[in-house]
Amino acid sequence: MEDMVFENIEIASPSVVKQAARDFAAALAETQQFKAFEQTAYAFRQDQVAQQAMQAYQQKQESLRAMLMLNALSVEQRAELERLQSAFISQPVVQEYFTAQAELATLCQALGDALSESIGLNYVAACGVSCCG
Amino acid sequence: MQTVHNPSMQEAAEALISNLLASEAFIRYQQAQACLKEDRQARTLLEQLSQAQADLRKKQANSGVTQAEIDALRTLQEQVQHNKVILTYAQTQQEAVNFLREINNEISQLLGINFASFATHASC
Repeated sequence: MEDMVFENIEIASPSVVKQAARDFAAALAETQQFKAFEQTAYAFRQDQVAQQAMQAYQQKQESLRAMLMLNALSVEQRAELERLQSAFISQPVVQEYFTAQAELATLCQALGDALSESIGLNYVAACGVSCCG
Repeated sequence: MQTVHNPSMQEAAEALISNLLASEAFIRYQQAQACLKEDRQARTLLEQLSQAQADLRKKQANSGVTQAEIDALRTLQEQVQHNKVILTYAQTQQEAVNFLREINNEISQLLGINFASFATHASC
């Protein structure tokens, strides 16, 4: 690669940048959005009813995966899947978890956008994440 | 940073940005970007390649592509691959991307979530 000139430029070493990254993470961990996310995630993990509802929905989804990909579910199969999904997402702890997740995502998006704008690279794309996560 | 109202969060984000911009990977990338911007020949080459690729895609979808058109595209690709300014730009960009991934890992490890995944704007 072509040699580049770094005269009169103060370079931040990788360890310094990584420390700034850890400080950034620590500040994010202290936000109300992150704390709410952690609390609701914990409550969700501890809630047996919500966990069972999630497993029932996921198992049904998995058993119908091939038909889902082909968009070939019968009316009955689709109704059953929707019933299980509804039973899952209507759980109060699940709703609280999704709300907290969305609020944390809004904050992370604002931070990611600010990073991208300032560094001239799309942070999310550079980190190999597509729009579908 | 319009929706970041937390001062310490904003301060930490600004510190991370200035440190990233002062890192060797990003300084190299910015220098290469400036060189590319200054180099008319390199920019024209990239524009020609982009146009040729778009034209070929259009023709593939409609009628068909001739061997001469494929050869012309290959020639352009070779010219791009041998252009020192473009090559340096591509390499430094990749290094900056690799460094950014390390930084994201650092952030994500501490938080226990993939920060970049949460920063994604879901559009599909």
